[in-house]
Amino acid sequence: MVDRGTVAGKITRYLVLLIILAIMIFPLLWMFRVAFMPPGSSVSLTALFGGAFTGSNFADLFTEIDIGWNLFNSAFVGLTVTVGNILFCFMVAYALARYRYLANKLLFVSVIVVLMIPMHILIIPLYILSVKTGIYDTYWALILPWLVNPIGIFLVKQYIETIPPSMEEAARMDGAGEFRILFRIVMPMCKPALAVLAIQVFFTNWNSFLFPFILTSHDNLRTLPVALALFQGHQAIDWQHLMAGSTVAVIPVLGLFLFMQRQIVSGITAGAIKQ
Amino acid sequence: MKRHRTSALILASPWILTFFLIWAFPLVYSFVIGLTNYRIFSPEQFDWVGWSNYKQLFSDQDFINALKNTFIFVIGTIPITTVISLAMALMVNRRFKGRELFRAGYFLPSVTSMVVVALIFTNLYQRGGYIAMLASMVGITPPEYGFLYSNATALYSIMAMDIWMSAGYFMLIFLAGLKSIPDELYESAEIAGASAWRRFRSITLPLLRPVAVYVLVINSIKSFQVFVEIFVMSKGKFETMTAVYFVYETGLTTGFESGYASAAAYVLFAIIAVFSIMLFAVMRQRRPVW
Repeated sequence: MVDRGTVAGKITRYLVLLIILAIMIFPLLWMFRVAFMPPGSSVSLTALFGGAFTGSNFADLFTEIDIGWNLFNSAFVGLTVTVGNILFCFMVAYALARYRYLANKLLFVSVIVVLMIPMHILIIPLYILSVKTGIYDTYWALILPWLVNPIGIFLVKQYIETIPPSMEEAARMDGAGEFRILFRIVMPMCKPALAVLAIQVFFTNWNSFLFPFILTSHDNLRTLPVALALFQGHQAIDWQHLMAGSTVAVIPVLGLFLFMQRQIVSGITAGAIKQ
Repeated sequence: MKRHRTSALILASPWILTFFLIWAFPLVYSFVIGLTNYRIFSPEQFDWVGWSNYKQLFSDQDFINALKNTFIFVIGTIPITTVISLAMALMVNRRFKGRELFRAGYFLPSVTSMVVVALIFTNLYQRGGYIAMLASMVGITPPEYGFLYSNATALYSIMAMDIWMSAGYFMLIFLAGLKSIPDELYESAEIAGASAWRRFRSITLPLLRPVAVYVLVINSIKSFQVFVEIFVMSKGKFETMTAVYFVYETGLTTGFESGYASAAAYVLFAIIAVFSIMLFAVMRQRRPVW
């Protein structure tokens, strides 16, 4: 559709768009601003445009408040879970795409499960299960349950089905083993789908709160969002430091978002369009 | 063929294991302990109590309140989020300079973690904070101790934040739906003399229906489980106790009433299931409901 509005119409439209944009980004700008306010200064409203700037809050985070560990945990868990999902979702997706008899039943069940079962209702049994198996309050609890996810499987399976099986057959004729075919031939061809998957898994994991929160109890095992949520309410921590910590938690996803917007968008819309 | 069957099983095993350990088993297990008075840290007193947890839940004023608040949250946010996100999608769907910038900006809140968003809004909602200032400017007296410390405003403030946060996400899904509507439809309608409103009513809305169903179902399943923002912003106080927060509080804090909390979770599960099925049924009717 080509825009054929009048000049006045155009100006109004841009005005509306800009007002919405301001509403959408203001809270994040406010977070950045407060993060750079000198500690102890009152978080005053006029400070958005004036007032002093300091980076000392960020230094304090790593020296006094010690969120270095939390940042490490988030990065370590996020990357491990992402790598796991790339590998395992790909394996499962390949089995579902190429071995028909398994595909129908498994995929059907997993998709129904993921669409209809709200996972938060499982906090009690998953907590008990983690305590009984001994993975409670270890890195295992943050990693093991999340190494493969049905939406990811679905995404990669759709992609594999668009690849003609002739390449695999040719390789099989040449005597290549199944796993060689899988990881040397098919996997490299799935890169676009795996990139979408990786981004989505990393984002979800980096931002996740509920399960990392209920499955750990040591401060040393807390991921960044959990640590931040628990700081709130501590009288010792002021808004400046809390917002500085929030900034640290947001920067990696903002960076990824700027560079990989296309993958993020296709990951989100894949589910909606495919049904 | 035999060899293939084995390798397919090996390849699928990560999901088979995850499915049984993380979904199927916990689902059955929590139903079973929902019929007992099991407490994880005092397993010596363990009895089958049948449906009495469920009976007790429906005379537990805290649980009734939690359900009521959850319903207010769901019914109050979903229609507004849907309309706003559709309007935003329509606005950034046409071609104009800077379109990508607006799309990215609108989507930005959705990539941020809920914890961070909730912290920022806790600050904005506080006594003397930004939103209190805006409210006084338009002549509304803000609650004395801040928006999150008043029975009248706490839940609605959290709901407003939730709408702000998820609008951009659902905008993206609506955009994908809009993109799948062929341009020719609009062109021929225009040639036939249909007004813009008419084209929207007769082409856009009906063809967006499957996407709208998806948005409504996804959003309601998500909203019925609201927890993180409550945990960060109000800890369930000031009339903000929701169903999942109730489950958390009874099952995973003092008392650790695993059985009772599991029963509560199952009530929520049943409500979500019924709600989703109803949503599908209504949206599938031939006669457009909108």
